[in-house]
This record gives sequence, structure tokens and C-alpha cells, in this order.
Amino acid sequence: MLKYLIIPLANDAVSFCHYERGNASDRLIDIDMLKKAIFWAMTENVNVQFVYPDKEMPSEYKPVIDTIDHAKIVSSHCEDKVLTDEADIVVFDGWNDLDAFKCQSGKSYVVRTDKSGLFDNADVFKSLFPKLDRLVVVITDIDKFQESDFQKYEALLNAMIPIIKEEYGKGHSLHFNLLTDRMFLDKMNNCNAGDETITLAPDGKFYICPAFYLDGSKAVGDMETGLDIKNRQLYRLDHAPICRKCDAWQCRRCVWLNRKTTLEVNTPSHEQCVVAHIERNASRRLLEEIRTLGEFLPENEIKEIDYLDPFEIIKQ
Amino acid sequence: MSFDIAKQSIDYILSNPELFNEPSVEFDFIGGEPLMEVKLIDRICDYLKSQMYKRNHKWFNSYRFCFATNGLLYSSKDVQEFINKNHTHLSIEITIDGTKAKHDLNRIYKDGRGSYEDVVKNIPLWLEQFPDCGTKVTISHADLPYVCESVMHLFSLGIKVVNINVVFEDVWVDGDDKIFETQLLNLADKIIDNNLYENCVCSFFVENIGKPMDQILDNGNWCGSGKMLSIDAAGNFYPCTRFAQYSLREKKCVIIGNCVDGIDSNKLRPFLTLDRTTQSPQKCIDCEVASGCAWCQGENYDAADTDTIYQRSTAICKMHKARVRANNYYWNKLFRKLELEGRREEYNATHKKQTEKPC
Amino acid sequence: MKKVIGKVTEQERNEIQTLFERRNGLAELAKILTADNAELYERLIMDMGETGSKFQNWWDTMSQNYQWESAEGGHWEINFDTCEIVLVTPE
Repeated sequence: MLKYLIIPLANDAVSFCHYERGNASDRLIDIDMLKKAIFWAMTENVNVQFVYPDKEMPSEYKPVIDTIDHAKIVSSHCEDKVLTDEADIVVFDGWNDLDAFKCQSGKSYVVRTDKSGLFDNADVFKSLFPKLDRLVVVITDIDKFQESDFQKYEALLNAMIPIIKEEYGKGHSLHFNLLTDRMFLDKMNNCNAGDETITLAPDGKFYICPAFYLDGSKAVGDMETGLDIKNRQLYRLDHAPICRKCDAWQCRRCVWLNRKTTLEVNTPSHEQCVVAHIERNASRRLLEEIRTLGEFLPENEIKEIDYLDPFEIIKQ
Repeated sequence: MSFDIAKQSIDYILSNPELFNEPSVEFDFIGGEPLMEVKLIDRICDYLKSQMYKRNHKWFNSYRFCFATNGLLYSSKDVQEFINKNHTHLSIEITIDGTKAKHDLNRIYKDGRGSYEDVVKNIPLWLEQFPDCGTKVTISHADLPYVCESVMHLFSLGIKVVNINVVFEDVWVDGDDKIFETQLLNLADKIIDNNLYENCVCSFFVENIGKPMDQILDNGNWCGSGKMLSIDAAGNFYPCTRFAQYSLREKKCVIIGNCVDGIDSNKLRPFLTLDRTTQSPQKCIDCEVASGCAWCQGENYDAADTDTIYQRSTAICKMHKARVRANNYYWNKLFRKLELEGRREEYNATHKKQTEKPC
Repeated sequence: MKKVIGKVTEQERNEIQTLFERRNGLAELAKILTADNAELYERLIMDMGETGSKFQNWWDTMSQNYQWESAEGGHWEINFDTCEIVLVTPE
């Protein structure tokens, strides 16, 4: 069931996920189209997330945007500093600006990084964790992970465990997607693009997610004719043979990466599965560590498993 | 295909036994007409044999070279030399559509002459060299009125095994299922009344088809795409030749690697995790006569609303149901006859139960 | 004439089937290998001898174990599908 509508307000709206931000033009969504989209969201009863470009939005858009309750996704480089302050999610491209940025409690911060940026900036986490409540790290080149990267990634997450444990010991319930999300979950919690989330792009058409718009994929409907997602069942968990057997519940299960790497939206790559399982297993260790401080999530168990890619179990 | 492309492909396959871990292998040469390139094939086969042996590869103890040929060049010197050289490892199917009239409808030379006479003169030699080999017949809309006489004609030529199926493409029109059923009922009568069931097999009649299927226990994929490797003349790898561009109507080809870089195993994952129910519409999952209803992954992909192998085409639905009705008639009639003659047990003991063979 | 005179286990069938396939493979390889390729050629010749002996040993051992019926001018065959041993005699 559809729950969220993402509206990138311009072609170069900030990327908060695996895909690269569009740079072909700074085309804004037409204001009448925006009004129609907001009306559609109200009638369909879906939550709206506006994704902003760095350039300040023209003043006539602001009152239109405010006609609906919504979440704001904004880049750390956004010219509109008031907007950045009001944002629900602030996105950093890389690690450079993080130290100087004044983080606010209760807000989510997304860091987009490639694997080498991640491995080189492990120390930055230590200074960040005490300052914020929710950090989401998006690795932009998961599909390029090699065996040696998996080992580095596991080592990196293991090194985070005592730091996060210390925060929990101080009563700071930090949320860090790569390590704490899995502890709190009791079922799959993925991106769900195409099933629960849909995107209305600046061209006035629906796409599975902003990445599908930017890579030139076919639209899945428009404001006039409505949504028309062919083979919509393939975006659901029950039609994903690998994922439905998996308990790396924090996995983003990115359907765009799936299609890019395996040519099918319902099939993750080996790399996506292994990365998610390294996180899952590190979450298990973190859970055990936090429990040494006292009772913590007593209902939630993460079983020990002997595989990193559920494809292996299916093959057997 | 150049010999170098073939060589690179063979070297890749034989150097990676962990990727190709089946105990046996079939090397299937597909044309056009493969025997037009018998000298190249001969060179490839020689390289394969010597490399499998040199590398002490397990497939040296279990391999076949397979061909489906139109039979025109079968008795030529080059082809016969190749057969003599590799006889114990060959599986050759000559495709002949049926009667002369039927065969010459489609299988013609450039100048419009039919090829039936030239093929049929090679059948005795083929059957002498490969008495157990069968022929493969594919039925499309225009072939329906000739099904019975075609199969009977093939039996009369001495061919004992006729592997036959309807095409998976959406070529069927209203009423085709009725024509098909009538043809199969006539064929059933002819096979049984003339006692041909003793020695001949037509793959339309299979004892275990036409039953409901369990969602968990019978959930395997039918099609073998992804479990085989198809290589084109440029050295690109496909999960089956049906995914090469020349086989597709609407969609872009699905390349899963090449002879230089090897296989991209991520591109194989959807094929190897595909099951029956995930790709089937509810009507197929609930179908009371589902077993034996086949599909082709390549056609599913080509006919799908999106670029996916996970949408099953149901173009043959009515044709399968027609086949099931005729098949029920065949076995009921045959078993009753055998019972009345007191030969049912003898038949069961001497005839291997025919099972539907997945692709 | 053909007469079923015994049956072997699946494992025994697999043994002789592998030897049968190998023997055929070696015989067909021998048609293309020449003495120019000395190393491989020598290996092949030795292998053909060894495989032939193993093949014959299998029949000797099995016929002894199962005490199969024999006949003047006849020979035994195995049906790889059913594991049955058939005595083939001239009509």
C-alpha cells in the first residue's frame, strides 16, 4: 500500500540515497504541477517528502509547499540556511563539512560516501556520535565492493561497537543505521520504493524512485492518468525470492541497485547482501555488548548464522 | 564464430570448474544449420576433447556433442567423417515436420523448392547410426490441422521418438484448442489401435501431467535458462540462446558475461532463484491441471510488461488444457485396453514411465 | 536374443558407466592425438590400457559375485537406465 510520495523539486535536488544527483539542468517542477501533486497526495492520503535543490526555491513555491504537512530533505550546501535549519533530514555529500556543521538534536543526518571515503574517515564517527541523535550512512558504491572491502567494512563496524556502547551507557540512544537499526526491528524495514513509496519527478510523471527518473527509466504514470506500475508485485517482499528468506531487516533493499546489478528489481546483488549481513552480524554483537550494561530490548534476538549471502541457502 | 572465440570460451569454462560443477556436460551446436560449419565444429570438438583430457577434467568421462539439424548435409563426406570420429559422444536430431506437404510448406530452398525429399533420403542412414535418437517438432497455429498425420508419418519413417510441443509465443486464435484436441484424440486412437505404443513415443502423451501442483513442494522453475550457458559468435554469454538479440522481438538482449571477462554472477542470480509461484499469475497457481504446463523464460521476458523474467506468459493456457484432455483420454483408453488383454502389468514392467522433461 | 539375467546396484552401474564413457572418450581422443604430442600421447596409451583392464575387471568381478548365466557365443550387456544385466545370444 502506498504511504509516501517523494517530490524532488528540481532536477538537481539533493540525492539522499545511492544514486548520483542530477546535473543536467536546474529544471524546477512546474508550480501548477506541484499543486496537483499536493492535491493528489491529500486525496491518496500519503505522506509527502520534498527534496530540495541547493539553490533557494523561488518565493512563490513556499506557500504552495506549506499547504501540506511534509518532511524536508535538504543538502548541507543549501543556499537557504533557514530551510536547512528547518529540515527534517540534512544530507552531506562526503565528510568534509561534517566537523564544522552545527548538528541539532532530534534531526536526521545523512552522509553519502563511497567505500574509500568511509574507510578513511572512521575517526570522524567518534566525534560525531556524541553530537547527534540519528546518523544515516549511505555507501554509494556498494556494487563495487570486493572481498577485501568486506573485511575492512566488518573491521570498521566492529570498531564502532564500543563507541556506540559508550553512548548508550551515557543514556544517549543514538541511532546509527548501519549498527543500531537492526537491533530495534522485528521484520523487514526497507526502502520499499514502488510498493509503499513513489516519486513524482519535476517532469510531472511518476517514477519508482528519483534514481529511476534520473537514469532515464520509463515513467509509471502521471498526474492525469494516475499511477500505472506494471508488475507492481515485484516490488513487494513476498515476490523477492532472496529477500523474503532474509533477516538482515535493516537492509535498504534498493530496487534501483537491484536492477542495475542483476537486471531485476526483486533480486539483490551479492555485494548488497553481504554488506547487509556484515551490518546484521555487527548489530548482533552490539546488542550483546549493550546488554552487558543492563536489560536492553529483551524481546529482540538476532540469531547467529553461518552465511553472508542468503542466495547460498536458496541454492542449497 | 571464429575458432579463437570458441577456444577462449572453452578455456574459460574448463578453467573454472567451481562455476560449472555439473557431473556431465552437453555441448550443443546451434545454427541456423550447424552442419554447414562442420569443419569448424570438428576443430572445436577436437580442442574440447584434448583440453578436457589434458586438464584431467571430470567432463572427459561424461560429455556429449549435440545437434539439431535439418538433415540436408547429413550424408556428406565431411559430416560422415565427423560422425565416425565422435560417434559414441554424439546426439543428433534431424528435424522433419511431418508429411511431404507439411514439411515443404516451410522448409524450402532459396529457389522455393521443398526440401522434404532430400531430408528423407538421409533418414535411413541416420536411424542406422543413431537408432535411439528422436526428432523434434514444434507446432504453431498453421500446423494444427496436420498434427496427427505428421506424427504418424514420422513413425512410419522408422523414427520411434517424436518430441513435440506447441510454440510458447502468442500465436493462438479462438478455436485452436479445439482443433488441437481433435488432432490429439485422433493421434491417440491411431497409436493405440495400431499398437504403436509398444515401440513408439510421442511426447504429447505423458502419464503424470494435468494435475494440480503444490505451492511448496512443486515450486521449481520449469525452464533451465541460467543453468546452461549460451555463447554467441562474438563470445558473449547468455543464460539461454533465447536471450540473444536475434531471438528477441521486443526486448534488449540479456548478456551475462563474455569469454574474456567471464560470467557476471550477479546477473545469474534472478535465474537461479526463480520459482514457479513467484512468476505465475494466480490463475496458474490455482490451476487444477497445472502439471506439465511449460514455459520458456525467454518468451516470458520477451512478452512481459516490464524488462523482467518474473512474469509468466500464459499464451498456451488453452492449448495445455486441450492437451491434458486428450492425454487423459489416451491413458484411460490404453490402460483399459491393456487390462482387457491382461497385459497391464507386463506393460508397466517393460515400459519406463514417461515423465515430462523440463527444458 | 536378449534375456535379463541379473541386476547390479546403482553404485556398481555408475562404476561401469564411467569406465565405459572413459573408454569411449579415450578411443575417440586417440583418433586425433599423434605421437608429435609425446607427453599426452604416452599418457593416453597408458590410460587406455588401464581403463581397459578396469573395465574387464568389473565384468569379471561382477559375474563372479552374482554368478550370471552365460551361453556359447553370447555376451553380457548392461542397461544403464535399469541396472539390468542382459545375456545376448545369437538368434
